[in-house]
This record gives sequence, structure tokens and C-alpha cells, in this order.
Amino acid sequence: MADTDRRKGLTAYLLMAPAVLVLALFFVIPFYSLVAASLYEPGGSDKEGWEMTYHVGNYVDAVQDYWEPLWHAIAYSAAATLICLVLGYVLAYAIAFKSGRWKSLLLVLVIAPFFTSFLVRTLSWQLILADDGWIVDTFQFLHLLGDDGRLLGTHFAVVMGLAYNFLPFMVLPLFASIDKIDHRLIEASGDLYSNPVVGFFKVTWPLSLPGVVSGTLLTFIPAAGDYINAELLGSTETNVIGNVIQLQATDAGHPNTAAALSMILMVGILVMVLVYIRKAGTEELL
Amino acid sequence: MSSPAETTDDPAKAAPASRSSYDGLRLSALSKSYGSFHAVQSLDLDVPKGSFFALLGPSGCGKTTTLRMVAGLETPTSGTITLAGQDITATKPYRRPVNTVFQNYALFPHLDIYENVAFGLRRRKVGGVDAKVKEMLELVELEAQARKKPAQLSGGQQQRVALARALINEPEVLLLDEPLGALDLKLRRSMQIEIKRIQVEVGLTFIHVTHDQEEAMTMADTVAVMNAGVIEQMGSPGELYENPRSTFVANFLGQSNLIEGTVTSTAGDVVTVDMHGIQVSVPAARAHTDGGKGWIGIRPEKVLIGAAGTELDAPGNTVPGGVVTDVSFIGVSTQYLVKMPWGQELQVFAQNTGRDRIFRVGDPVELSWRPEYAFLLDHSQDVNAGAEEAV
Amino acid sequence: MVAFGGLSAAALKLPMFGIDAIQACADGGIAKDVSSSERDLIISNWTGYIDPRKNKNGTLAQFEDETGISVTYNVDVNDNAEFYAKVRNQMRACEPIDRDMIILTDWMAARMIGLDWIQPLDKKKVPNLHANLIESLQGKAWDPDLVYHAPWQSGLTGIAYNADLVDEVGSFEELISRDDLKGKITLLSEMNDTMGFFLKVVGADPGDFSDTEWENALDRLKQVKDDGHLRQFAGNNYLQQLSQGVLVACEAWSGDVIQAQYDNPNLKFVAPEEGLALWSDNMMVPNYATHQTNAEAWIDYYYRPEVAAKLAAWVNYICPVQGAQEAMLEIDPSLAENTLIFPDSDMLSNTWDFMSLDDEQQQKYEGEWADVISS
Repeated sequence: MADTDRRKGLTAYLLMAPAVLVLALFFVIPFYSLVAASLYEPGGSDKEGWEMTYHVGNYVDAVQDYWEPLWHAIAYSAAATLICLVLGYVLAYAIAFKSGRWKSLLLVLVIAPFFTSFLVRTLSWQLILADDGWIVDTFQFLHLLGDDGRLLGTHFAVVMGLAYNFLPFMVLPLFASIDKIDHRLIEASGDLYSNPVVGFFKVTWPLSLPGVVSGTLLTFIPAAGDYINAELLGSTETNVIGNVIQLQATDAGHPNTAAALSMILMVGILVMVLVYIRKAGTEELL
Repeated sequence: MSSPAETTDDPAKAAPASRSSYDGLRLSALSKSYGSFHAVQSLDLDVPKGSFFALLGPSGCGKTTTLRMVAGLETPTSGTITLAGQDITATKPYRRPVNTVFQNYALFPHLDIYENVAFGLRRRKVGGVDAKVKEMLELVELEAQARKKPAQLSGGQQQRVALARALINEPEVLLLDEPLGALDLKLRRSMQIEIKRIQVEVGLTFIHVTHDQEEAMTMADTVAVMNAGVIEQMGSPGELYENPRSTFVANFLGQSNLIEGTVTSTAGDVVTVDMHGIQVSVPAARAHTDGGKGWIGIRPEKVLIGAAGTELDAPGNTVPGGVVTDVSFIGVSTQYLVKMPWGQELQVFAQNTGRDRIFRVGDPVELSWRPEYAFLLDHSQDVNAGAEEAV
Repeated sequence: MVAFGGLSAAALKLPMFGIDAIQACADGGIAKDVSSSERDLIISNWTGYIDPRKNKNGTLAQFEDETGISVTYNVDVNDNAEFYAKVRNQMRACEPIDRDMIILTDWMAARMIGLDWIQPLDKKKVPNLHANLIESLQGKAWDPDLVYHAPWQSGLTGIAYNADLVDEVGSFEELISRDDLKGKITLLSEMNDTMGFFLKVVGADPGDFSDTEWENALDRLKQVKDDGHLRQFAGNNYLQQLSQGVLVACEAWSGDVIQAQYDNPNLKFVAPEEGLALWSDNMMVPNYATHQTNAEAWIDYYYRPEVAAKLAAWVNYICPVQGAQEAMLEIDPSLAENTLIFPDSDMLSNTWDFMSLDDEQQQKYEGEWADVISS
């Protein structure tokens, strides 16, 4: 009896071992080293080495010097997430409820952009939003833009690039969630005196919340760390924290600053996500 | 085939009051087609206010489609629906004073029981929600579960929530779409009684769609038997059972022995039929054929069985020359299969009163029934119609 | 450090609390030269920096034919800092990086040489290098005697503009202040290139400047950036945008401009009034390379004028080999006269070389530069 119990315990440990090992290798150790790097004494160099002196000042300096790109990253990502949510919801809803036998094909089309490189897709947006491109011309014609107004190199371009690149991350979880909704619930809401709009907000929307939450997280988190869109579609005014981290980690050779910024971004996003999940009332999702 | 007006002894079919003043639910020439498939064909139906009405039929007979058209979830291809004198054919579902108890309840999983029940009131911005919800939960005996989510409730409890959620709105008509289909037999029985009790208590019009004839007969005042998009027959449960007008009803509602025969004469209120050489009589009111050939029907429990040569105390149709081929002892009764001289096997249910002995296989027997229990059906109908669909 | 089953002790020592100073490798980073037994050579270079390798008459194929050395040519250098980051951990742990030759820009070359990560070249085995290197690339402060490096190609940093859209941009000062260029220019994201010009603009000498002058130059850059005069700091793709008209002018590398001119003749390269930055990408043999002799054979081969001319005709950067200009006459006379491939003395007299920085200086300046361009 005791023997089989012990064997059972052993099996559980053995089964867990790979997960623990992978997490330790790919998360705990890098994370530990990141924390250590963020506390290096500034003024070190590759040649002279870096000393870990619990220099918390790195964080203060990082925020002081780079609050703007930090803010940009959050703001762009939030804006792009909102755009994705609106576009993605309509798209996912249409695919889930209205597409009939085209469902699979439409889903493939949603993912299709992923078959080309992220970089190439973003570069093509440079052409689309170019100063002499048709979008700018149209906007100028409609007087939405001044004659020397432009799109490329603006906040708008960066947000649109992010929204475009991350849209599938929004659509897929939304689709999965909406597709699962029992049609009869929507009928029931109509039967119980909800017009289609009220029915949507009282039944469809709350039932799709798991998809909304995972979609917004899957969009917001990577978009907050993305710097390719800001680099290719933005200007010197649109730097995001990712640009800074990359530059600090390589060219500038300030691993302490890069690590501190990474930690700030990570903790910041984590806090926002927790608050968000709590607000959305979907703790049970986690 | 049988229009409701034919069954004159039911209040539901009393001569239609003028269109505008009828206060019940009226379907006129209602049809629904999906391409070339006609789910419901030119249906006429009056459901009086305050009645418990059952639409009974096998799956695919069009009963659910009819219900959904009343609820507004399907648009009729043609015909009209009026409710308390109002034409609601084109009214949006959320504007109809009609509520539905869905087949799998369709409770909102994200709302607790209280909010599920309050849903309709909140949408209509009716006051006094709290008192009404409490009252309704009391009615269905779920006060204690108010703050639970539907998934935490048993099937029977969910069923009662669905009922409460619809009832609280005090609809003109409450539609129940196979409401007990997902429950086990025992629970189904108690829910049948429960729903009937509630209907009596609230006095609303209930339209109950089901494929279970026992359920329909237990609960409803009036049952309409539907088959292939049309109503075969409508009436009180007793009437339908005792005097079926078609082989489908005869077979679908309980069991029947249907024996081929030829009408030989009609004298006064008695029709005489030659049944394989034996003259049997059927009251004219129970003869539903135009002469010529027909199916003589008799319910198995109406057939008396006796040893060959004995005098049976049924002053009526006697059929000699039977041989017992199967005996099932059920306790309260014994069910026999008796092979008749013309080769057909008839079913006989004999009460175990202790007065008669129980026959054995191979015993020669005589059958007999009172003429007033027999009925005569049109020979053009399929003798097996409805037998397979019956549960 | 003792290598142990493929994992060195240094790799096992996790960066728990810090990173030690870089120590010179005890064995001087020398690996046994197996060139004579293994006729192989592994090179890492930038993209588009050699004539077609598949061509039988190309320089690489000819080298292989002539020497019997089989060359593995990797195109895996995209960025100096990125390449540095890629090899840093192995280099500091005194482990081989499995390459016999790497090609990096001066400042990074200087840095790696300073870190003792580069093996000296045997002067006797590269006679052509010492005989044929053009004068303007000789005598670099960080390796005056060509012990560690041999320029592969060299280039000029100047200004490019789209003649279709704007008038000639004659000076760097103009580039960063002219109103019709506002918001439609880029500067290069390489510190030495861009800051060299800003030092010039504030009246300092990029080859020898003080911290104060550096600060002034940086302030000027900051001001230009804050004015919204710049579209972006760019490292690649900027000429495509110039050609499309998204940009009207930019700081540019000469070779990129020549290549882009084939597609769009309206693109012009200007030697600004402030002068030009002259830089080079340099062949070096990293520590623990096992085919040093083969690498030296390669260097010597590419320092033959006719080989250099063939290469220059393709890559369009400045050819660092004397005598190649004559050899070019036979390949393409028009290119032989192109001063962006064979600069004349006028042009060369107006070039500068960025001050040689030690590792700390490099890090300080790069850091401050990064602060400005990324904030």
C-alpha cells in the first residue's frame, strides 16, 4: 500500500520534471540573471567587467531618462489593442456566425499574413503610408491631412502598423470564444425582450469575455515590447522602450540600463494585466 | 388532413369567434418551407386562452418549427399568427408577449439564477424586480439557489429555472419546447406534475411541444397530434385515445389492433363490417371511412379472451379460432399474442383479476370486444403509420 | 580555464552577481594551425560584399582553384554591435568561435584588438597587403603596422539627395538646417559617422576632440532631433526611401549610393563641405582560428591589384588596393574614373578618421549617443 503510494508520488515527480527543468532553464535562470544585471554598478564595461552592487539607482535613472519611450510603448500598444479589438471583434463575429461554409477559409486568410516575414509586412506598410502614396493623397484630398501632412513617421503609422501586425492574435482567441457561444442563448435573449443590440451587450459580449481578455493580452503584451513598427514606420519622435533596450543592450553597452528597463516593462505589464483581469472579472481564466 | 373544426366537442374548436375578438392564439394557414422541404403545411390552429395545449408528434413532424414561428424565431413562409386579436406574424421576437422554455433550457451561463430569472423584467424595465424574482423562485422552489450559476444546478433545477425565467414575464403564451427531454424518467414524471401544477396556479396559456405521448396526455387539456407538417387530430387526451381518426394516431398514441375489413352495411348509427368472414359492428360516430374497405381498430386492453367455446360476457363482436402464440406475465396484467385464423397476430391485455385462468401458448381461444370500443379507419392509410415513431 | 566535456568552466559559472573583467587568454588565444592538412577557410562577412560566388571566374572561385582551399563564406554580419554580442561570450571564455576570419568596421576592429581577441598576421605571408594598401588607410592609431587587420573595402560617409525633389545639399550644415528638408532626412545610426559630422559642424576635429567638444556636438544633434528635422536614424533601407521620395536627402555611405544609382540616376552623392568620413571594414583572424595560414593566403590574394579591381567593380566601395585602378581600366574604364571607388587626392585630403577610442571611451560615447537617439 505505502509502496504503491510512494511509487505514485515518484511518477508525479518524474512527470513534472521536464516542465520544471524547462522552466528553470528558460525562465528562472535568465530572469535571475536579468535581475542581477539590472543591479550592476554603472560605469562598468565589457573589458573591466560589471559588478553587482544592488545599484537600485539604475531603475531611477532608467525611468528618468526613458519615461517617454516607456510611455510611448504603453500608449501605442493600448491604442493598437483597442483598434484590434474593434476590428477583430467584428471580424471574428462575422466568421463565427455569418460565414457558413467559408469559415475555415476565412480563418486561414486571417492567419495568412503570418506566412510572410514580419519585417517584410511592416516594410510594405512603409510603401502604403508613403508621403506620395494613395492613402496620403486621399487624406489630403479629403482635407484630413494638410498639404505637407504625412502619415509615415507619425504616431498614427506606428499604431496602425502594430494593429495590423497583431490583429490575428486578437481574432483567433475571439473567434474561439464567440464560436463556442450557443446560438440558443442569443435566441433566448431575444425571447426575453432584448433587441439585438441589448442582446449583444447582455449575452454575446459577456460570453465572449474570455476571448476578449486573452485576445487583448496576446495583443497588448507583445505589442508593448515590439520596436520594429516604431523603427520602420515611426520617426525619431516615436521611439519605444524596445528601441532603447535594444540599443542599450548592444551599441551603447549598458546592460544595467537595458536590464532595468526590461524589468520595468515586465513588472509594469504584469501589474496592468493583473489589474485588467481583476476588472474584467475573469480570474478563473488564469 | 383533419382540420381542427372537425372535432367539435372541444372548446378549442368551437366555431371560431370573429378574427379580431378571439383572445387566444390563432394560427391561420401557417406554412414554413425550407427550399422544397415543407416543414409545416397550411396549419390552422386555435389555442384558447388559459389552456394547456400540447403539440405532439415524432421528431421532424414540424411541431418545433411551429413553436419557433410563434416565438418569432422563424419567419413563416405564408400564413398569419394572431395573439389576443393582434397580428404578430411580423413582430420581432423581443416585442412579442410570448416566452419560451428552450429544449436545453438555454440558461445564461454567465448570470446567476437570480439574474437569469430577472432577465426579462430588467429588459422591459419593469419595477419591483426583487419581489417578483423571489416570488417566482419560491414558486419553483429554488430560493436557496438564487446566487448559484446554472452549471452548479442539477438538470431538474435548471429546468425549473428556465420555467421561472419565462413565467416571470407573465406572457400571453408560454412555449415549452421538449422541456423535459433531457431529464431521466423519474424526474420527468415529477416535473410533469410540477409544470401542470404551476400552469394551474398561474393560469397562463401553455403550449407544450413533445414527442412523448404519455407526457402530452398527462399534462395537456388539449393535444394536437402532428405528423409530416400537418395536424392529424386534435382533442382531449381521452378522445384521441378512445376515438383515433387515423392509423397514425391509433398507433402513435398507445397500441392498436388494426384488422382489415369491408363495410357491408350502414344502418342508423351502426356500421357493419365483414372482418375475414365475421360480421362485426362499429358505431357510426367511430367510423372514419367512406365505405368499402377499412381498418377495424381495437385497443388491446379492450379485447377479452376466453377458452374456445366459452361464453364471453361481452355482448358484441366475437371472433373464434384464435391460438395463443405468446404470453407475457406483467403482474397487473397478462399480455397475449393470439394468432387469428387469417394469420394476423392480435394483442390482448388481460387484467389479472383472478377470475380467469392464464392461458398458455398453444391454447385455443376466442376473442371478443364490445362494439362501442371499436373504431373504423380509412383503408388507404398505412396500417403501420406512427407505430415506429411511438416511444 | 579548463575545457570540460565541451562545456568550459566559464560557461558553467553563471552570471550570478556580476561579470568579471575580461582576462587575456592564458595561451594567447592561439590554436594549432592546421592549414596545411585542412584546406579550409571559414569567413564571416556582410551581405553584398563580394562578387558572385557561384561565378567560375569570380574572385572566390579563382582563389579556391588556385590554392585548393575550400572556403565557407558566411553572410552573417549585419551589424557590428550585434556581431560583437553574438561572439562575446565565447570570446571572453577563450573558446573558438569557429571562424577563421571576421570582417568588421574600424571602431569594432579597434575594440576587439584592444580586448586581445584578434591574432596577429604573419607579415611575411601577406606581402601584398604591406605593398599595396592605399596610403589613406595606413597608420591607423589602433593598429598602425597592420599587425592585426587588413582593410577589405573602404568607404566614405557623405550626403545623398534626390535631385528630382530638392536642390543640391552641399554641406552637412545645410542637411540639418535647410527648411525644405525638414522631416525628410535621415542620419546614419552609426555613432562615428554621424557624430564625426556634428563635431565638424561645431568646429571640432573628429580625429581629435575633447569631452566639451563632444558635448557640444551632441547638444547640436539633440537640438536638430528635437526640432523634428529628422525622420529617423537609419542603418539600412534608407536609400530605398530616398529613391521613393519618402526622404529627400540623407547621410549616406558611398557604396550604397552607387549601387542605388543603377536604379535611380537622380540619386546623387555629395562630398559635403565639412569633408568626408573615411572608414574601412577589416579582415581579422579571431582567437582560436585554426586556419590562420589559409586566412593569410586569402588576404594576400585579395591584395593583388587585378583581383581587387574585379571585386571593386562589383561592390562599388572604395578599393583599398593600390594599382587596382589601373587594373580596372581593363574591366570597366568608367569605374576606374569614379572617385567614389578610386578617390583622388583632392577628395582624400578632405577626409577624416574618427578618433581612436579605448574601450571605456567607446562605451561612454556610445552610451551618450544612444541616449540621444533613443529618447
